[in-house]
Amino acid sequence: MLTNAHLKYESQKLGMNYFRVAIVLFGAQLLLGLVAAIQFMYPGFLFEVLDFSVARMVHINALVVWMLYAMIGSVYYMIPDETGEEVVGAGLGKLAFWVLTAAVTVVVLVYIFIQIGSGTEATIWLINEGREYIEAPRWADIGIVVVVLIFYWNVFATFMKGKRTGIMTVMVADLFALAGLYLAGMFFTDNISMDQYWWWWVIHLWVEATWEVFVGALAAYGLIKILGAKREIVEMWLWIEVLMLFGSGILGLGHHYFWIGTPEYWWEIGALFSALEPVPLVAMFVHVLYDWGKEQGHMEANAAEGEKAHAVNNTPAMAWIATNAFGNFLGAGIWGFFHTLPQVNIYTHGTQFTAAHGHLAFFGAYATILIGMMYLGVQGASGIKKMTMTFKTKMALFLIIFGLLGMTVALTIAGYEQVLVERADLGGGWDAYFTAQNLPWMVQAMGWRLAMGVVTFLGFVYLLWDLLTIGKAQAKEA
Amino acid sequence: MSKKNASVWTSIRFWRRSAAWVTGTATVLLIWLTFNTMGQISMGSDADLANGVKKRIPAPTVINYHIDYVMDQKRGHEVPVIGQKEPFFGKQWSAEEAAALLHHGKLTSQAKNCMNCHTLLGNGAYYAPDLTKAWLDPRWEDGTMAAITGKNSKEEAMAEFLMHPSQYPTHARMMPNLNITQDEAVALVAFLKHMSSIDTNGFPRNFSQNAKRLEGGTNAH
Amino acid sequence: MWESCTDIACGNIFALLNEGPLTLTIFLHTVIVLPMFFIYFQEKKRVNEEAR
Repeated sequence: MLTNAHLKYESQKLGMNYFRVAIVLFGAQLLLGLVAAIQFMYPGFLFEVLDFSVARMVHINALVVWMLYAMIGSVYYMIPDETGEEVVGAGLGKLAFWVLTAAVTVVVLVYIFIQIGSGTEATIWLINEGREYIEAPRWADIGIVVVVLIFYWNVFATFMKGKRTGIMTVMVADLFALAGLYLAGMFFTDNISMDQYWWWWVIHLWVEATWEVFVGALAAYGLIKILGAKREIVEMWLWIEVLMLFGSGILGLGHHYFWIGTPEYWWEIGALFSALEPVPLVAMFVHVLYDWGKEQGHMEANAAEGEKAHAVNNTPAMAWIATNAFGNFLGAGIWGFFHTLPQVNIYTHGTQFTAAHGHLAFFGAYATILIGMMYLGVQGASGIKKMTMTFKTKMALFLIIFGLLGMTVALTIAGYEQVLVERADLGGGWDAYFTAQNLPWMVQAMGWRLAMGVVTFLGFVYLLWDLLTIGKAQAKEA
Repeated sequence: MSKKNASVWTSIRFWRRSAAWVTGTATVLLIWLTFNTMGQISMGSDADLANGVKKRIPAPTVINYHIDYVMDQKRGHEVPVIGQKEPFFGKQWSAEEAAALLHHGKLTSQAKNCMNCHTLLGNGAYYAPDLTKAWLDPRWEDGTMAAITGKNSKEEAMAEFLMHPSQYPTHARMMPNLNITQDEAVALVAFLKHMSSIDTNGFPRNFSQNAKRLEGGTNAH
Repeated sequence: MWESCTDIACGNIFALLNEGPLTLTIFLHTVIVLPMFFIYFQEKKRVNEEAR
């Protein structure tokens, strides 16, 4: 992970830099998540020192930022492979990387040590915006826009100069939408309904539309790179996925407009478009397994007698991409569909149910494939022809997946209890809320969530250890 | 040889064009819907309130009125009902004063990061109660909190609680002291009162309907 | 089947379409998917011509 020895292109070296920061932020996300989980059990823990609101803010911001880092890293890594060109502005890209990293560091330090400000515009500009997921203060917003413009120009100009593959075409179009949507979250209004309306444009149209298409493009690139899958087939699937993801995801935005002051017609739109959102996720799952089986079958058919055939040239990356294919369907598709209909959502909205879905979806749909991309990066940087899983790879996979599933199940049980007791029976409100929080089902579920969070963190330690050592170890063997 | 009948289903071009069409059309429809919704969720005016014109998001001067949340048979869920005028912190607020107060309150809600413990309109974190209808919560309505904080009115009790939350614990999980000033507390209460008047299509449903059953002893200590 | 609008604002097209059974969704889905038929037949022609 720390070497660039075998990378020819500046673009890929830059990509590795982004991966390195991403993995550090991933660790920070998990640590602050543990703090928040402990506070659910022991509310006195760090009370008025590092309150839940701060721990939770850093937890979800580190999540978003490490994923954006790993996404930018993945794009820089794939640019030379796809376009056949070196990135046009490597120097500028490097500068942007250091500026962004410095800004992120300052923002996180301000979050942790200054935390909140007085009720003035200055707080919004300098400390935090207090809007879930996009808390970054306005100065950082503007900085992010500038850095992303540099990144986008690099991608676009290199794309125009080199080969224009289908995967890159999707990537360039998708990144344009992804970057543009950030602007919808950069204004202040006194009207809380208006505030939430546009806030969802950023959050939903990122994670349920543009990020999903991004993952589709990454998976397509990964399948070609790891399995040697046929480009025509992969790219045709990619277009079908884009069609289905945007066809369902864009108006699926309606499922966030049930209860925020928006008109009743959003019930029907939100319900019936978002009900289709799992369909492309099934397609993506089938696609990955199909290509895997097909290429492996080809290999075996063409192998000489008694010779072992392996279509996969990077088993850790393939394992994480396969986890992504299923995790995306399970976490985003199934767990999302659970509570997407307004008849159910009126009770589940704003409960631990959402937290259960959030954990499994962000992990299944995004963390997995981005970890897979990091393994691809390590393989390239260490010059390994065929990378295979180590004991640490397997431990990381097992512990992280097991921990995440455990947290999700625990939060789902907590969610059920909260939905039935606080919402359906008692009808919400202060007393109803705390009654539900005190019941054994909630307390036990929160205990299991913490335990499974620790398991996940152990898995992360193995992952980090593996990423740091696998390259060197296997480069020597080869 | 007969005329060839090639398949379109395996044509990349067909899927690429379809993907572009579908994405474009869905985007255009979303923008159209957004324009329609924008018209419905922009804030009403002071005159609307005086004339009884229903708006999804009323003017800031709604803080001068009594707000209730009652079952509407026609719509099949509860809706906010704006009633008679009532003083807010002992006075009537002019349109300018109310707008400035709401502005300050909304700013403070963001500056103090309310959303990373509470939910607002159901969005946020799940560590503390939902604030959508907090103004109407029986805890404030029935005088319990007014008695605990030693204040005469609901709004004064709320402001006092916000300024010194850990002095009035209602649960082991307490709200931390966020250095909220008197002005900020008044503005926050206005923000909460305004939010309770927003028509949320019946969310939360049956709000605190069974809270009476909890009287005289809940697990919430 | 048809339920009259109960929302606060009823005079707009989406509220009207919302009165019928699934008519709002059917309308939106149709607008999105219909162009694909046109694309299909156009591509069919092109593919057949290329194959000749």
